[in-house]
Amino acid sequence: MKPEFFTLLRSPAIWLVLAFAATMPLWLPPYYLGIGVLTLIYIAMALSWNIVGGLGGQISLAHSLFLGVGAVFTSALLLKFGINMWVGMLISAALAAIMGVGIAWVDFRFKLGHLSFALITLAFAEIGELVVLGWDFLGGASGLYLPSDKGDLLAFQFGGAKGYFWLALVIAAGCFLVNFAIINSPLGYYLRAIRDNENAAQAVGVALLRNKAIAMAISAALTAIIGTAYARYVAFVDPYLFASPAVVIEVVLIATIGGLGTPFGPMVAALLLVPFGELIRGNFGGVAPGLHYLVYGVLIVVVILSMPRGLVPRIMDVMARRRAS
Amino acid sequence: MDMFLQSLAQGLLIGSTYGLISLGMGLTYSVSGVINFAHGDLLSLGMFLALACFTAFGLDPYISVFITFPVMVAFGALVYRFLIRPLVGSHVLMVIQLTLGLTFIVQNGLLMTFGGMSHRVPSKIEADLILLGDSVVLRSALAVAFAVSVALAGLLYFVLTRTDTGRSIRAVHQNAKAAALMGISVDRVRTLTFALGVGLLAIAAVLLTPGTPLHPSQGLRYTVISLMVMVLGGMTNFAGILLGGLLFGIAEAFGTVYVSGTSGMIVPYAMFILVLLLRPEGLLKRRAS
Repeated sequence: MKPEFFTLLRSPAIWLVLAFAATMPLWLPPYYLGIGVLTLIYIAMALSWNIVGGLGGQISLAHSLFLGVGAVFTSALLLKFGINMWVGMLISAALAAIMGVGIAWVDFRFKLGHLSFALITLAFAEIGELVVLGWDFLGGASGLYLPSDKGDLLAFQFGGAKGYFWLALVIAAGCFLVNFAIINSPLGYYLRAIRDNENAAQAVGVALLRNKAIAMAISAALTAIIGTAYARYVAFVDPYLFASPAVVIEVVLIATIGGLGTPFGPMVAALLLVPFGELIRGNFGGVAPGLHYLVYGVLIVVVILSMPRGLVPRIMDVMARRRAS
Repeated sequence: MDMFLQSLAQGLLIGSTYGLISLGMGLTYSVSGVINFAHGDLLSLGMFLALACFTAFGLDPYISVFITFPVMVAFGALVYRFLIRPLVGSHVLMVIQLTLGLTFIVQNGLLMTFGGMSHRVPSKIEADLILLGDSVVLRSALAVAFAVSVALAGLLYFVLTRTDTGRSIRAVHQNAKAAALMGISVDRVRTLTFALGVGLLAIAAVLLTPGTPLHPSQGLRYTVISLMVMVLGGMTNFAGILLGGLLFGIAEAFGTVYVSGTSGMIVPYAMFILVLLLRPEGLLKRRAS
């Protein structure tokens, strides 16, 4: 671990931001608190995807599998076998990590390359959705309803939006920390080397499969945990939300707009775009459904064509140049 | 046995159209190295254009294709020139992300224009049936789809092998630099093939429309189908892609008939993974054509 990691932990700014965020449930009105929970969930998803997609440069669209395992499988375990959701969450995280390693193996075994990787993970994601839709154990097309939330922490119930805000804050902060830790560890260097030139990385002795599999497993397990929390928060496990690749594509777009590779890009983009999208949906959802997604789509096109590395790296460049001159 | 023949015929017919859709994708990929993740959404756009022509002018989709084809070709050319061309030569991930953004634009543009309900485009021949032998009953629309898809694939083959435009397309496919040195405008060829690929979608859209409910969110599934068909065919092998389409259609038809419910829809995907594991280079081994 490089010293940067500990410098970050000691910097007061991070703790101030966190402390400020932690007070938000106490004064935010309920509607905005709901948007806050959603924003934190998206930040967490974008950050955990960033480990594979940003650091490793692999556009994985299979993350809906991991989200689905965390949400659907954990809920099914609770409803069908009465398995406590905390335990279920850990089982799902482990299962997601194994699936992630499996995908990394397929990628390695067939030397997929960036393009094929994206399309094959998309096919995996589609299959996952069909499995959930076709299997009654996982709720089929009608989804699963979780029992009402009585605020029992031992049963993974956090009461109302307040509790879930704090839960999501802890998860998002955790994802940020994991990102930062990986970036400053050997794994982060290996991943970036693989991203920039796989053959060259292999030639100097970077173990491709091992590093990709570790990154995928970490990312998958985190995504599954987010899935469980998200499912418990909305209490209705909708297969078209949790098992469909649509959410992951949204996360990929948000992370890309922000700028991949650092934890700040995906975080800032989610922080700006999710509340913005929710406000558009709240105000125009009746007249123009889908308007916020249309705006995302236009934004990604504009960002890719005008600042290919993303919003945050661009802002940092501009700031660095100003400081230099 | 009757059921077997019936589903085999059904699968072959619909599979030919899948092949046609993927052919557009494969053509673009082999010439520009661009994978268009908005392919299915552009197909969806073609279907909704047919719907718009029907609601506005009462045109049968088989007639309105003469309007939607040039519109889609022009749209494809614009998308290529202003969105994709600036990214040619940069990292392949950028184009993936850009076209993923495009799916959001098309899909939600359609949602805002046509609403979230399912639509249907009626056609004259929708209810017509054809009897083959004494056991196989086919919808005429599917027979038309098969005939048109095969004819178009044949036409494409003719153009690629016998005309100068086709030769320049194949030249860019083989070696863009050498083609440029021979005086071929690589940029023009790439724009042309992309526009043509999108135009093919307008035709495929009409072939698929009769009897299919339209919904703005359907695009992604078609993208996945055409991606899988393309991988089955070995990415750049045009005959392989057509074969992949047929195989996919047959797997889908058998899955729906012999496996109950939604699980039947998994059959073609399972076949895809199996083929990928056994023959990662595609059905027909890629020749240096």
